[in-house]
Amino acid sequence: MNSAQITIQIIVTLVAIACAIPGTFLVLRRMSLISDAISHSILLGIVIGFFIVEDTSSPFLIFLAALAGIVTVILVEYIQKTGLVKEDTAIGLVFPALFSIGVILISLNANDVHLDIDSVMVGDLSLAPFDLLLINCQEGVTDSCINLGPKAIWVIGIILLVTLILLFAFFKELKVSTFDAGLAATLGFSPIIMHYGLMTVSSVTIVGAFDAVGPILVVALMIAPAATAYLFTKDLKKMLLLSCFFGVFASIAGFWLAHVLDASISGSMTTVLAILFLLVYEPIITSILVSIATGIGVIFYQYYERLAANNLEFDRLLIGDKIRTVLSEFVLADYIYVCFIAVFLTVTLIYLLPKRGLIYGYYKVRQQKTEIMLLVFLLHIRNHNEESERHVKHLNEHINWQQLRSQSIVALAKKNNMITITDQIISLTEKGASFTEKAIDYIITNKDTEIEEMKDDFFLFRG
Amino acid sequence: MNRRLLFLIFNITQKTKAIDIQQYIELIFSNYTARIVMLGTAILGAICGMLGSFAVLRKQSLLGDAISHAALPGIAIAFLITGVKDSNLFLLGALVSGLIGTFWIRSITKKTHLKSDTALGLTLSLFFGFGMLLLTFIQKQPNASQAGLDTYLFGQAATLLAKDVWLIAIVAGIALLILLVFWKEFKILLFDEEYTKTLGFNTRFIDILITTFIVITIVLGLQTVGVILMSAMLLAPAAAARQWTNSLENMIILAAIFGAFSGVFGTGISTVIGNLSTGPVIVLVAAGIVLLSFIFSPKRGLLFREIRFRKNRNNIKMQKTLAFMYDIAKTHENISHPHAIKILNGFQGFSKRSLQKLVDLNYVQINGQQWSMTKEGYTTASNLYNQQVDNLHE
Repeated sequence: MNSAQITIQIIVTLVAIACAIPGTFLVLRRMSLISDAISHSILLGIVIGFFIVEDTSSPFLIFLAALAGIVTVILVEYIQKTGLVKEDTAIGLVFPALFSIGVILISLNANDVHLDIDSVMVGDLSLAPFDLLLINCQEGVTDSCINLGPKAIWVIGIILLVTLILLFAFFKELKVSTFDAGLAATLGFSPIIMHYGLMTVSSVTIVGAFDAVGPILVVALMIAPAATAYLFTKDLKKMLLLSCFFGVFASIAGFWLAHVLDASISGSMTTVLAILFLLVYEPIITSILVSIATGIGVIFYQYYERLAANNLEFDRLLIGDKIRTVLSEFVLADYIYVCFIAVFLTVTLIYLLPKRGLIYGYYKVRQQKTEIMLLVFLLHIRNHNEESERHVKHLNEHINWQQLRSQSIVALAKKNNMITITDQIISLTEKGASFTEKAIDYIITNKDTEIEEMKDDFFLFRG
Repeated sequence: MNRRLLFLIFNITQKTKAIDIQQYIELIFSNYTARIVMLGTAILGAICGMLGSFAVLRKQSLLGDAISHAALPGIAIAFLITGVKDSNLFLLGALVSGLIGTFWIRSITKKTHLKSDTALGLTLSLFFGFGMLLLTFIQKQPNASQAGLDTYLFGQAATLLAKDVWLIAIVAGIALLILLVFWKEFKILLFDEEYTKTLGFNTRFIDILITTFIVITIVLGLQTVGVILMSAMLLAPAAAARQWTNSLENMIILAAIFGAFSGVFGTGISTVIGNLSTGPVIVLVAAGIVLLSFIFSPKRGLLFREIRFRKNRNNIKMQKTLAFMYDIAKTHENISHPHAIKILNGFQGFSKRSLQKLVDLNYVQINGQQWSMTKEGYTTASNLYNQQVDNLHE
């Protein structure tokens, strides 16, 4: 690790924390997309600022950009308040309009403006360590400047410091106004001031991080860690800490991924964030996919290195051909090896991650469906004394179930000793009758706790 | 004021002067490329307005923004696999990854407690970030020079070819056909999803059908207006049309017209001025239409709302004066007993105008400095708060 790499890692860590804190509140307040809107419309502020001071590195530019962000928020709110359109439509109308004005202003003066949209829209971190903050310079005298280190660290560090101070000072006000604006207002904290304060901090943070990672990846750094943390916990403090942790982890891991792939740092940071989110959101499928990808990647890399070293023509091949060449080198043992790595990693990841996700969810939904059907079935039997209604065949037409399903429900009820069948006629046992009785109570009172106890009482699905 | 800023303003005014209507029309009819581009943006605007109406009414306004960003990795992967620059292939890749993005948004909001805004933001930024990773990876490849994927970020309407316009037109035709065939299903799903389900329609199928068409439209628009501005293209005509009508049919037709108009007009302006990218101009024209609709629409517009508000306020002032007069008049046996105008004070909503209005309505008669109530005024006033008088002045 050389000093430039360390500097970049410090910068991304600071950016990640500075973004995660306001991001958490944005996610909780359902305003995530405001960050997207701000990150686009600050282009207008930058362009206007550039026309006035003609210097891309002036602090005035940062000020105007942050101002443009706040103007966006105010405009969105104004349009929303007129009641003519919904909030999301208001956001979708305001920022493209401001962004368009910015782009048009640039292209109208394309000849004498050294402001490239591409460079504004796609941040570049790799040069950040060499953009030093020099003060006390005297013109014409070399080495007269005092070197204070990379400028990005200073900018984002100050923003982070202010954010932290504000967070500690106003934590309880923020908490109350986030979860219950009405209560906050009655307690005497103005939710409006909190709202605009948060918006200002977000706006300034986005502008500060903008240089480093570009506008869309700022949005990723704001929303994704907070959303991932929100899936883990419902405690605000834990959520803040977790989202900072995820942000920092993704930044450092993303930096090294970019180093290995020789690709953009911000892009790989987002990719790591995406993998993190997916791991929490859909643990089983993602962990299998990630494990297989890792397994293949490990072996692929070994072959790739060997080919690249031995074969000069290999370098000039297209990426698709390259992949094909490398894959053709694989032998059976390699595939077995990949499977081994994949299985091992899958088991570890599933073990590590919380019990959520597609397969588990599907299983749970099925179980609940069966429970409800059993209840319907038992109620039906209880309500009818006449034999024609209690005939096994009758169920299919009366409750509209398919053959197979009704059979399985009857089997389940029988297994639980709730019914007896004599001559194809179903009748409730004592246990079945009391279960149904309790179920009706539950349905009438509608208390969630009772049904769980009830299931335990009757050993449903258990014996 | 700064010298540069002044120069900039001077520049804009000078260029605006150059727009001469005659010259403009001439240009459209003489220039084949301009004609093709204009036709393309017009059809695109129309189809965007049409399908955007559904997105706006279903509160999925920002879906366009999310999907247009989510399309990037699809384009990059299509290039990585085939290694050729073929716009149809890119469209296919974009379509697939856009649909995956939509699916993702839906399942996140359905299965977790994350709200739709977070789901949209996640899809938007994570897909786009992954796409950026792939793009920078592509740029290191030996055949990167022919990639030119940047156009998808900001769009280049000028690169529209006749075959692109054909593609847009065909998709628009199919969308229109589907819309007509499934009209009642779409409409009922839009306004009452539960009811649709109970009627036995397959809501999932209808939902997927309409979302797929929205995604296809977004993907088609990417080449013209670019990733960032696509959402406005989808939203603005629909939001403007919503202000003018309460009927879905009219709204869709109006939105299509607004969309086509902004396409034609925006392309026209950018062709005449030159050196302007078309996408932003189209979006600004559409935003202008929205602004005009917000202010001037007769039923919902801000201007007429303010006028109505003032009228109501004056009306209430007048009613207040009338009620005050009634309180005085009922203490006398003769209700038309004259009283001095002086006793009406400002706090009771009295003003010369409201008094004059009462005289015009024949509720009160004025004799010099005295006023007296008429029979009609007395009955109206006694019923004022019984809600038997529907509306005093109408």
